[in-house]
Amino acid sequence: MTSAQHIPVSALLAQSECIIRSLGSDDKTAQRLAQMGILPGTHLRIIRVAPLGGTIEVNDGQGQSFALRQQEVAAMNCEPVAMPLISELVAKGRTYMIRDLRGGKTFQQRMAAAGLQEEGLIQIREAGVRPIQIRLVDTDRQVSLGQGEAKKIIVEVINHESNS
Amino acid sequence: MNPTAEPVTIALASIPNSGKTTLFNLLTGSSQSTGNWPGVSVEQKSGIFSLGEYIVTLIDLPGTYALSPVTEEEQVVRDYLLNSPPNIILNVLDAGNLQRGLGLTLQMAASALPMVVAVNMIDETRRRGITLDLKALALHLGVPVIELSAKTGEGLPDLKEALYEIIKHPEKTRIPHISCPPLLEKAFFQITEAIGKSSIDTRLDHTFLAMRMLEAENQNQWTSNEKVAALTKKWQRRLKQSLQTSFPVVCAGCRFNAARGLAMEVLGEQPIIEDKLNSRLDHIFLHRFFGLPIFIMLMFLLFQGVYGLGAPLQEILSVAFDRAGSWLFSQFMVLSLPAGLQSFLFDGIWQGIAVVTSFLPIIALFFFFMSLIEDSGYMARVAFLMDRLMHRLGLDGKAFISILLGYGCNVPAVMGTRVMSNSYSRILTMLLIPFTLCTARLQIFVFLTAIFFTSAIAPWIILSLYGCSFVAVILSGFVLKLFHIGGTPEPFIMEIPPYRFPTLRSVGLRSWYEMKDFLSRAAPLIIAGVLIVWLLIHMPTNVPPASAATWAGQLGQILAPVFQPLGIGWQETIALIFGFIAKEIVVGSLAVIYGGTDLAGLMSSHITQMQSISFMIFCLLYTPCVATIAAIWSESRSLRITLISLVSGLAIAWLASFIFYQSGLLFGFN
Ligand SMILES: Nc1nc2c(ncn2[C@@H]2O[C@H](COP(=O)(O)OP(=O)(O)OP(=O)(O)O)[C@@H](O)[C@H]2O)c(=O)[nH]1
Ligand SMILES: [Mg+2]
Repeated sequence: MTSAQHIPVSALLAQSECIIRSLGSDDKTAQRLAQMGILPGTHLRIIRVAPLGGTIEVNDGQGQSFALRQQEVAAMNCEPVAMPLISELVAKGRTYMIRDLRGGKTFQQRMAAAGLQEEGLIQIREAGVRPIQIRLVDTDRQVSLGQGEAKKIIVEVINHESNS
Repeated sequence: MNPTAEPVTIALASIPNSGKTTLFNLLTGSSQSTGNWPGVSVEQKSGIFSLGEYIVTLIDLPGTYALSPVTEEEQVVRDYLLNSPPNIILNVLDAGNLQRGLGLTLQMAASALPMVVAVNMIDETRRRGITLDLKALALHLGVPVIELSAKTGEGLPDLKEALYEIIKHPEKTRIPHISCPPLLEKAFFQITEAIGKSSIDTRLDHTFLAMRMLEAENQNQWTSNEKVAALTKKWQRRLKQSLQTSFPVVCAGCRFNAARGLAMEVLGEQPIIEDKLNSRLDHIFLHRFFGLPIFIMLMFLLFQGVYGLGAPLQEILSVAFDRAGSWLFSQFMVLSLPAGLQSFLFDGIWQGIAVVTSFLPIIALFFFFMSLIEDSGYMARVAFLMDRLMHRLGLDGKAFISILLGYGCNVPAVMGTRVMSNSYSRILTMLLIPFTLCTARLQIFVFLTAIFFTSAIAPWIILSLYGCSFVAVILSGFVLKLFHIGGTPEPFIMEIPPYRFPTLRSVGLRSWYEMKDFLSRAAPLIIAGVLIVWLLIHMPTNVPPASAATWAGQLGQILAPVFQPLGIGWQETIALIFGFIAKEIVVGSLAVIYGGTDLAGLMSSHITQMQSISFMIFCLLYTPCVATIAAIWSESRSLRITLISLVSGLAIAWLASFIFYQSGLLFGFN
């Protein structure tokens, strides 16, 4: 992970979550965000990207949705804390906790059979290859996941300190 | 009623979308008037209601997140509170969005003005099973806190009683203590002291004033005291050097720490539950693949709703007007008047009134559907869906709807720019709408293409004119963005409200007031415009109307050198002058000017195909009609913007026709 924790715009997948560390350098935008109560420390969850791209909907943890432009999010320092497993922010060698398995019943069953469960710890074995190879930390099992499956698995960063 | 009771002013203030206007309508009923805040195109609404022996003027302030202005709306609110503080602030909180609203509540409480807090949308929180401890809120804020649903009217008597009490026994609001970094506290303290020593006369708390001054670039508007201004400037420099973030951001941080605490007191340990229905609806309306097709379908329905229903109504009105007119002007009393006066009454005044009336059905329908879209919450979704596209032109996503509806009629479209929340987008959109090909222009094009082209080619010409209109809108958008005509753009950070059921009452009221507003603000200008054109065409009185010898004809001939390079003769120039009134009458005026029975034959012998296209391009791009100009004037309240619209339309029309006609000649067409 880069030391400056700016989220690459392309990494803003739905269901990612980040913590705002600073509001960015544009005074007007920073002031507007601050006045809406979106301040350093606020968790932002990305709900969706607009069909035409460029604009995203985020939730501020108060149950309230906002629309922002990607450039505004990219300009502020928002540290990723959770993301779908297919996100390019998921790095090899780090340990993640499964936060959410967002799928129907059969998906849940399939995951359970493979040994994946919420709050379980996983690691990526090889970055950037498909299907995605993961290792279940608790049982030391290896599982390979398809793109569609990985999309529904939301993982959380468990150690916040940077390991560059 | 006690005639000695002092007039009382209450200002409604809150963050956007918390129900101010709904409450305003509930309290003031039919006694509303709208206008613009001085100097800016921000709507100003005020109304009157009585409370016991008091006559209360209620002011609906624009929604703002804070008093440290980022937007023009926020500046309006701050200036209003500072320069003419109301007797009482009525702060509205959305019960489902407490923390955000409390940020502003705390900031306003610091002013020490008497305040009542109405916690609105209580019906929604109840439905979602959320309970609120409002006693705790009242205790912490030290002001009356009333539960309310502006939609159902629940809690209104309590609110009125609380307002009455506070008018009778005005009590300064206790200043909430918000802890700030020591350096800021010191700055506040010193400036407050200086203000205290100066002879400023204000009902506002001095620390509040000190904070506002620290945020502002120019303190002179509030104090002529040099010492205060100099001290403020000194502290601004110091704070800039020592704070890592800007001063208003630091203050917002402190405020929201307190607001979070307060919200927690009110809500207790209740978890935040997502509204399932809401997210399901968004899953459909903002869907990656279906979102846009659904949007296009809804826009089609909207367009059909406004114009499909509006056009027949307009037709009926116009027939009724014609009939009434011919009846009225066949009466003996009128016939006994001199012919010139008759014409003035009939072709001038009567015609002007007819033009004004013809807009009423579409304005009513337009705002009926607009309010549906806005109140239901879909408007915010439109802004989200279209933001990418419109942002390229420097516009708000909401501008899309206004521009789209311009393709039906420019007048309501310009009035509809009011739904946009920032004045930059509003002005820009207003300036772009006149380039849309409205149905009145379409009538001219259908008529002329039928004369000059075969039925196989005519539709393509019309299609190209639509293309030309799109290009004009887009290019002008880029140019206007470049020159910052509408001021500076504002950051796009928009709250997406939950879906709500619009009430017939609020939607109906809105249509009604917009019609009234149009009549009082734009109508006089429209009638004046019609009269001016009437004069041009009928003066002097001893020549046939619209002939070469009239003022219009002379103007046409004076302008001939200007229009000659476009291939537009003086007869068509007169028709263009007619076109200022309304594009619907251009064809009719051509018939008068050419004066024959076979207009098609006469025209095609006078005018070439190239010249007819050049004429149509000019018609497409120059001033749509006096009503649009009147609407732009009454929306922007800016002579500059109105003139820019007028002049840029004429200039662009001339240029486009010139380029088309001359390059056509160059390539050997004629
Ligand atoms: N359920 C419910 N909806 C309400 C209530 N009051 C207002 N609304 C709705 O909330 C939305 C916003 O109301 P407005 O009155 O326009 O809010 P506003 O504060 O004037 O908004 P701005 O002018 O943008 O600042 C509308 O759709 C209203 O119908 C209420 O008590 N209950
Ligand atoms: Mg309002």
